Amino acid sequence: MRPRKYHTSAITDSMFKKETNRKQETVKVTLDGESRELQSGISVAAALLADGQIVSRISPSSNKSCAPHCLMGVCFECQMEIDGVQQQSCMVQVEEGQEINRRLTGSEAEKK
Amino acid sequence: MIKVYDAVVIGAGPAGISASARLAEMGLQVLTLDEQQRLGGQIYRNIQESSQKTRDDMGDEYARGIVLAQRFENSGALYYPRATVWDIESDGCVYFSKDHQSEQIRANYIVIATGAMERPVPFPGWNLPGIMGAGAVNNLAKEAELTPDCDVVLAGSGPLLLLEASLLIQKGVNIKAILETTPKTPSIDAMLKVFPALKRFDFLKKGLKMVGDIKKSGTPHHKGITNLRAFGDDKVERVEANNGSTHLQFSTDMLLTHFGVIPNTHIFRLLGCQMAWHREQRYWYPQIDKWGRTNFDHIFAAGDGAGVKGALTAEYRGEIAALEIAHCLGIIPTYERDQLAGPIENELKHDDYPRPFVDAVFAPSFSKESFDDETVLCRCENIKIKDVRKAVGEGVREVNELKIVTRCGMGPCQGRMCGPAMAEVVGAELALSPDQVGVLKIRPPLKPIPLGEIADMEIETAGAGQADLFKNQSK
Repeated sequence: MRPRKYHTSAITDSMFKKETNRKQETVKVTLDGESRELQSGISVAAALLADGQIVSRISPSSNKSCAPHCLMGVCFECQMEIDGVQQQSCMVQVEEGQEINRRLTGSEAEKK
Repeated sequence: MIKVYDAVVIGAGPAGISASARLAEMGLQVLTLDEQQRLGGQIYRNIQESSQKTRDDMGDEYARGIVLAQRFENSGALYYPRATVWDIESDGCVYFSKDHQSEQIRANYIVIATGAMERPVPFPGWNLPGIMGAGAVNNLAKEAELTPDCDVVLAGSGPLLLLEASLLIQKGVNIKAILETTPKTPSIDAMLKVFPALKRFDFLKKGLKMVGDIKKSGTPHHKGITNLRAFGDDKVERVEANNGSTHLQFSTDMLLTHFGVIPNTHIFRLLGCQMAWHREQRYWYPQIDKWGRTNFDHIFAAGDGAGVKGALTAEYRGEIAALEIAHCLGIIPTYERDQLAGPIENELKHDDYPRPFVDAVFAPSFSKESFDDETVLCRCENIKIKDVRKAVGEGVREVNELKIVTRCGMGPCQGRMCGPAMAEVVGAELALSPDQVGVLKIRPPLKPIPLGEIADMEIETAGAGQADLFKNQSK
């Protein structure tokens, strides 16, 4: 089965707004090969949601997009490759220079 | 040589914090391992760095964590955040991964305070992006000060669903509807249990105020709904449900679900702890004595992981476990343990008055009709309810067999998201209670870690002593 193409840009209108009077600090990360500035001091999953990036990965079993569900380390839906290791992104703090790969397009099946 | 501690506490929520603090205050060498970045567990998430606004929003229940966290920091307990325990043995051996390195340690006593999780209940479309746990959004507020900025529907059952609804209403979020699966009229059993709960009028008053706030806001609130289902292409777009014979439909950008809270029992099951079944709330929890001791003399359980009773009880049970461990280690004599435990036990009793009532009012109930054939049960492996039913039809009678036959529960979450519902589905098919169809066996690693980490780890096995001796002689 050919995986579907995902138009992730279509679903990046943020579902969340930031409600704070604190000064916002950011870090620069590489997200799927592109440089991106994310809010610092929070988990990778939270920082991506704040940035309007809802889709966290493509399920290897169903080939459909997944998004963070529990945000407390239970569901593994937010699992993605962070600095070369598959990790639950809700359990990892976002850091300057991090390389985050969600592999939303160009899955192994598509390359073949 | 691997490091040895008097006590290792796993988890830094209210139970873990209070157990660690008490043990360290008595002069014991304590190591607290916590998977998260910061102290507090879920209830006190980000407590030390949260803004005043967040603290005001979350109220006194949240603010209590400030004092607790301060006490922990002053206690002298050694604290490792970002430390994921991936294996544990009943002899006191603990393996954990921290910052991409794994380590083996040994403890005389272990307190497991790994808390609870939201009960996963599969319904059609529940794995669509835009559908999250109500607890997830609560966590985002505490950790990142994020608030939903779109249309929201809330669905499910339990006090935390209503709490989250009232928090979001207070913040001015556009809530299209609250869809409660809780029956419209409480059972007679629940009504009878209201009497002990009356002793905690303060608690009931808070609940009534919450419901009153929701009512005042004019948010559509449907009780006793059935057949919850979500639709959408790449993300949730529409939520439907039935209210008696009325068909409900809402277009929405976000659906927040909550079906109550159950103990996170993977670590206990990995250890081989004796488990007990909570008939009313339909969950497994480790069998413990009044001090929190499991069937293993040196392994204790405290907090919601040992049975869901809330943050205050968790804190007290952490203290109680710590007192007994100090007693076993010979730090305090029996009379002192009892003297110190007395007032805490009274607090525990006081805190527990409303619990039977709350458990009964929000008692989950499942039947064959609760689950739709086409619903994905195992999100990791994409296994549907019908796949499980088919296997049961072919003669499978137990969840571990089912896992082998269907792959349900074999993905990275190790059955955390499908295990409870799988037992319900199999139970309903066979007209058995879910506790009669087995419980998934858990194997290390508790969370996936790179194999290289294990290869690089210094390990001391039971036989290592002898091997070392041999090596010395041959020199």
